Amino acid sequence: MATTTATLTLTSPDVTGHSFNMTQVATLTKAASSTGLDEFTGITSRKYASAQTDTVIVADSIYADTTVAHKVYIRNTSTGSSDHILVELEGNIIIGRLYPGDWMFIPYGGTLDVQVTTTATNVSIEYGVFSQSVAS
Amino acid sequence: MATTTATINLTSPDITGDPLNLSKTATLTKAGSNTGLDQFTGITTVVYAAAQTATNIVAAAAYADTTVSHKVYIKNSSTGTSDFVTVELGGSNVFMGRLYPGDWCFFPYDGTLDVDIDTSAVGMKVEYGVFSQSAAS
Repeated sequence: MATTTATLTLTSPDVTGHSFNMTQVATLTKAASSTGLDEFTGITSRKYASAQTDTVIVADSIYADTTVAHKVYIRNTSTGSSDHILVELEGNIIIGRLYPGDWMFIPYGGTLDVQVTTTATNVSIEYGVFSQSVAS
Repeated sequence: MATTTATINLTSPDITGDPLNLSKTATLTKAGSNTGLDQFTGITTVVYAAAQTATNIVAAAAYADTTVSHKVYIKNSSTGTSDFVTVELGGSNVFMGRLYPGDWCFFPYDGTLDVDIDTSAVGMKVEYGVFSQSAAS
């Protein structure tokens, strides 16, 4: 059984009237289970020579769905401040924009593709999926 | 200008043939800018006495939209292994995924769709918060 942990640390000295510092640790397990997620795509790195429209980076057809605890990680590895990646679920359901350096980590139900759209050339991205081999 | 950072660490000794140890830090800035996000809801903690269906936790109407780099944090703070939070987007409640106890998520939010949750059991504890920019860039 694989053991994978995801730790989030959020810090700010000044976004509120007092300093803010929060750490959360999740052990990535299968749905409703103490058994660890058993699949991982690895981290894929891409540099898109041209702007992308609804490019699929996570295809729902290859994952068990619904009663699952898959996780998707995506990061905009571009430099500068303006070249964003629009992250959507299939059907143009907009999640949001990742600007350079931004990352996201979401639960994934395996029912819709995850797609990205970019507006500039040479936008760089990295992404990966932690998943369970069958639904619980 | 506020300075807020979000760091993710993904570690595993055995999910691949080699250990995984990934650490990335993002400085949370406004869209297309080096200026830090200037709004934060704080972290809200709610214990729901009853199971919830399409309960709104982030209302699009409260945020600038589109050219923005808001961020949403949600955690299922319940105990055990089985009681899950379903994260959904928009009026059609499009299914993103399930957070099982201890799971958290952190994602960009463009302010055009509500973020709703379902909970699978009574007495579930959920925490959430939004870092946002006061106006679209």
